[in-house]
Amino acid sequence: MSVKYTPVQWNANKYGYDLVLIGMVVLYILSFLNVAPMFLDHARPTDGPIVRARAFGTCAFLLLTIILCIGPLARLDARFLPLLYNRRHFGVLTSVIALSHAMFVMDWYFNFAPQSKLEGLLGANTSYGQVLGFPFEVLGLAGLICLGILAATSHDFWLNFLTPRLWKALHFLIYPAFAAVVGHIALGSLQSQDNSIFAIVVGLSTALVCGLHALAAWKERGCDKRGNADAGWIIVGDAGDIEEGRAKIIKLPNGDRVAVFRHKARLSAIANACAHQNGPLGEGRIVDGCVTCPWHGFQYRVADGRSPAPFTEMVPTYRLKLDQTTVLVDPNANEPGMFVEPTALPEHMQ
Amino acid sequence: MSGSKKDPFFVGYLSVPEGLKLFLIATVALLLGCFAALALTIGGTQDDPGDGAFRFDWGRQTLIGILEASPYPIVHVTKGTKRIPTGSTVLLSGNGKRGVQSRTTPLDGELVEISGVAIKRGNIEMLQLRGGRNGIKKVAGSVQMPSSKLLGRWRLSGEICDGKCFTGTMRPGRRLSHKACANLCLINGAPPIFVSSAPVNGTRFFLLVNSEGEALDNKFFHHVAQFISLEGTVEKRGNLHLLKADLSSLKRVP
Repeated sequence: MSVKYTPVQWNANKYGYDLVLIGMVVLYILSFLNVAPMFLDHARPTDGPIVRARAFGTCAFLLLTIILCIGPLARLDARFLPLLYNRRHFGVLTSVIALSHAMFVMDWYFNFAPQSKLEGLLGANTSYGQVLGFPFEVLGLAGLICLGILAATSHDFWLNFLTPRLWKALHFLIYPAFAAVVGHIALGSLQSQDNSIFAIVVGLSTALVCGLHALAAWKERGCDKRGNADAGWIIVGDAGDIEEGRAKIIKLPNGDRVAVFRHKARLSAIANACAHQNGPLGEGRIVDGCVTCPWHGFQYRVADGRSPAPFTEMVPTYRLKLDQTTVLVDPNANEPGMFVEPTALPEHMQ
Repeated sequence: MSGSKKDPFFVGYLSVPEGLKLFLIATVALLLGCFAALALTIGGTQDDPGDGAFRFDWGRQTLIGILEASPYPIVHVTKGTKRIPTGSTVLLSGNGKRGVQSRTTPLDGELVEISGVAIKRGNIEMLQLRGGRNGIKKVAGSVQMPSSKLLGRWRLSGEICDGKCFTGTMRPGRRLSHKACANLCLINGAPPIFVSSAPVNGTRFFLLVNSEGEALDNKFFHHVAQFISLEGTVEKRGNLHLLKADLSSLKRVP
């Protein structure tokens, strides 16, 4: 949370996160370039630029795979949420590694010709009408452009400039990027190797990404209770089911989700989507009296949905009422930041 | 720090909850271990790029021979070196992805001196010529062009490669990941080589030309780097084998 833009709001966790990221990349590249050749069953060397292109390309693919696994993993097990916290740096690093791969390729395969490198890249192979022999380089280029857009717009400035909704939609480009990269590998590298190790790695990675997303969607669907209506009010459930400092999420008929929090024996309801990146507020906790988003720690006062001063973020609030111990929510959202008196629980539940 | 030890809740700008520390340390160790293992596994199982290479270790090669400029420039060596003996037939190329047709066409059928660095893979040899007249010039004398020998009609399975990269400029310089590079070489005048999966007359490498014995047209480029079969006449010119292939006979081999 910040009231002004800074390049990076560093803290100890971000330093640690980035250190691990850089450690992974350095370990991978050094192992690939310097240690792995000792295990080859032949002595004839592959050209250095090709080995470097392979090292950086495979590294970028593995990083992209992990990035795509973090989201569903965090949905399935909240212990993975710390991996999500600084995922933007993960994405930026991945796009830099992918760009390095592209530069090694351009400087080797498309260099030394009378044509420009770009002309060579786009014009040398025009077999678009066939699967085998398809110019797979353009798929890699498409993936690289997507990753570049994501990296360039990763800062909160763009999040606010584009609005969270548009920014989020734009950042779904990560999926076409992954599809393009898998296609790029499948029609290029995998068609050119006798050894099937990398094919197995790519297959398992793709299955992992798809499987985790399917599992997370299945879990979310199972948890996504649509509230029953009662004279215009929506039944949330029994107040006793809501733990202190936590929330119950309910889906309204219009598709919006509401998080009903219990704090100091009183109930309050706010929109489930964080104003920052639409993170699931209802999966967060109340910390220091404020609802705290599990993704990046943005905070909102539970009664009025406003971030504590000097921050200015706001989310819509909802009215609640109790019918004995049954909690009901008015499906009509209040303006973001509008105060709603918390609903006190009956004495026997306090 | 927030959340209980049993039910920790991570907030990025606060210290990591005690209950999460062990889990995160294990996750980091797993990620680092997996990355190292994958780097060794993927990097340690790269295919053999073959025995083609620039032979800088041979030093500059200067040869005399008779130039056959069409369909692709070759020289039948009449005065060779220790490395490239008399009787060899060498393919010619310029620097990088460049042919030498502009320099060889005026000298077709002449006795020439050629100079450059050798590239060799198996029994196929290429000379990357030095620039201008340092690379190729007419010399006095006359020698008869070696006769051709027809070796019959064959259907061969294999791959169309560019003669420059395949011979050793790039390692590896074949298969689909190299297709665009190969096409770029061919567009710029490098000789196409058909690499057969089975030998004919002791060789698996054939200079590929069309059925009329002329340079390939662009239609062939769609099939470069794929496993295909072609039917055509095999001919031996000097020490080099040609495959005069009929494009209509081309089949993709699964």
